[in-house]
Amino acid sequence: MKLVLRLLFLLVLSTGFVFAQEADHNDDDKRVEADGSHGEEGSHEAYEPVTEIMNHISDANEFHLFGHYAIPLPIILYAPEHGFKFGLSNMFHHGKTAVDGYVLNHGRVNRVADPAFPEGHIELAANDHDLHDVIEMTTHEVDGKTRDLGLLSYGGEEYKLDKPSTLDGGLAGGGITSFYDFSITKNVFTMMLAALLLWIVWVMIIKKKYINGAGKAPSGLQSLMEPVFVFIRDEVTKPMIGEKHYERFQPFIMSLFFFILFCNLFGLIPLFPGSANVTGNIAVTLGLALLVMLVTNFNGNKDYWMHILWMPGVPVFVKPILTIVEVLGIIIKPFSLMIRLFANISAGHIIILSLIGLIFVFGESGQNLAGAGVGAVVGTAFTAFMNLIELLVAFLQAFIFAILAASYIGAAVEEHDHHDEHASAH
Amino acid sequence: MYSMLLADFNVLMPDPGLLFWTLLVFAFVYFFVGRAAFKPIQNALKKRDTEIQESIDEAKRVQAQMAQMKDDNAKLLAEAREESTRIIGEAEAFAKKRRDEAVTEAKEAAQKVSANAQRDIANMRDSAMADLKKEVGTMAIDIAEKVLQKELKSDVNQVALVNELVKNLN
Repeated sequence: MKLVLRLLFLLVLSTGFVFAQEADHNDDDKRVEADGSHGEEGSHEAYEPVTEIMNHISDANEFHLFGHYAIPLPIILYAPEHGFKFGLSNMFHHGKTAVDGYVLNHGRVNRVADPAFPEGHIELAANDHDLHDVIEMTTHEVDGKTRDLGLLSYGGEEYKLDKPSTLDGGLAGGGITSFYDFSITKNVFTMMLAALLLWIVWVMIIKKKYINGAGKAPSGLQSLMEPVFVFIRDEVTKPMIGEKHYERFQPFIMSLFFFILFCNLFGLIPLFPGSANVTGNIAVTLGLALLVMLVTNFNGNKDYWMHILWMPGVPVFVKPILTIVEVLGIIIKPFSLMIRLFANISAGHIIILSLIGLIFVFGESGQNLAGAGVGAVVGTAFTAFMNLIELLVAFLQAFIFAILAASYIGAAVEEHDHHDEHASAH
Repeated sequence: MYSMLLADFNVLMPDPGLLFWTLLVFAFVYFFVGRAAFKPIQNALKKRDTEIQESIDEAKRVQAQMAQMKDDNAKLLAEAREESTRIIGEAEAFAKKRRDEAVTEAKEAAQKVSANAQRDIANMRDSAMADLKKEVGTMAIDIAEKVLQKELKSDVNQVALVNELVKNLN
């Protein structure tokens, strides 16, 4: 059993390297090819690092493997006027086919809201080369702000492409559009994989050892994970929530920690099962921070609300000011959790992608082989270094999220001694 | 070319679909890993911690008990040794006393016997002496009587005797 697992691991690892190399070659080939064909027309397609990086850290409706290969993922779309649309992402043929007005734009489903656009399967481009001319990315002004706009050319007409709805209310450039995307995207897929792995590791392997092997010394995977478990218990839940209540919240804090940790670690794997920027997507951190906020406030005791609404032990004229600050704090605390995790993980991905992008920047998009060589050497060295930093960050951010969530919950369930609460309060 | 920075930074735009799946997947993790594994593991760890602590405490207690017992034994042994020494000493002293007493008693008895014997001997000797004296006196008187009877039959002898006695008186 163990031998088989080890061999399987080696196989996955070695094929991973082969794929990685192949993907690099493919990318290079594609660039050169693209430049060669466009160079004659004078419309030199330059490497745009920002666009490229943003595409890489974004969520996607298909799991890109290498070159033109991608794993299709389930599509669940909802447009208020058209109802649900189910399918697999390969029905879009990487963007070459539109299905009921939905198209794949750089790996993400977009929708043509214009009722003039035909329903059903519509071929937009015959091959990948023509695809470059189908969707044009431009910008337009919305409320005085520059927003990007995708334009789809079909049958001599240009149609405006809608992106999936987002909940930022236009603050970050999104907003509610004509459809919602509830697909199993790359991020959702990776999250499910992480959850499954967590379940296998903890329930299928480790829990059994504690139940069947009760009274025995820890062994195998149990020995690896138990120190982490005990660390979170002794350094996070117990000191932050307190001896009396910590066991009630421990499964929640541990779930947060291990879920974030596993998602972070998956994000560090540059190949298939990983590479998704799960915890670097604000929707994910928003979900987790929202849960922390709900758990904190639903478990808040009388003292907690007292400290928020009418802070004891301060002069009366200060109390209303503190009330405002504390009420804002209810939102700001989980908000900081959301931003911190999202920013750290996204930043890490962006840095690594920037360093890889150096290959193409120095290589002048495939024109300069020597420059690409220098970029490869420099980029690889720095990427290796950054990956180690990111490994640290993966653990650190999971830990920070867990310890802060625990401290918020701890503050909510803390019981103050009333006779000396002013001395002991915070 | 960089104008799309903010607009394209779509990781900053919370997608409701992703939010929904995050909550769903996390709910799975919480209920099927958190509640199903972390809770029993925590209990098992706690139980093990308690057991280890109890074992250590028990070992310490037993060790202390052993040390106490050892001390007690040593004390008992010392006491027993002392007791035996004391008993032997007492027995020796008693025996000596008894022996001395016996010797003294024997001596006394012997002295008494010998004193009685001496006294009896003295008494017997005295009575024998008295008897002897009495016999000798009687015999002397008898002899004297006989002599006198024979001598004083004539007057001449009586006068001679009186003269002699008178002469002796001077």
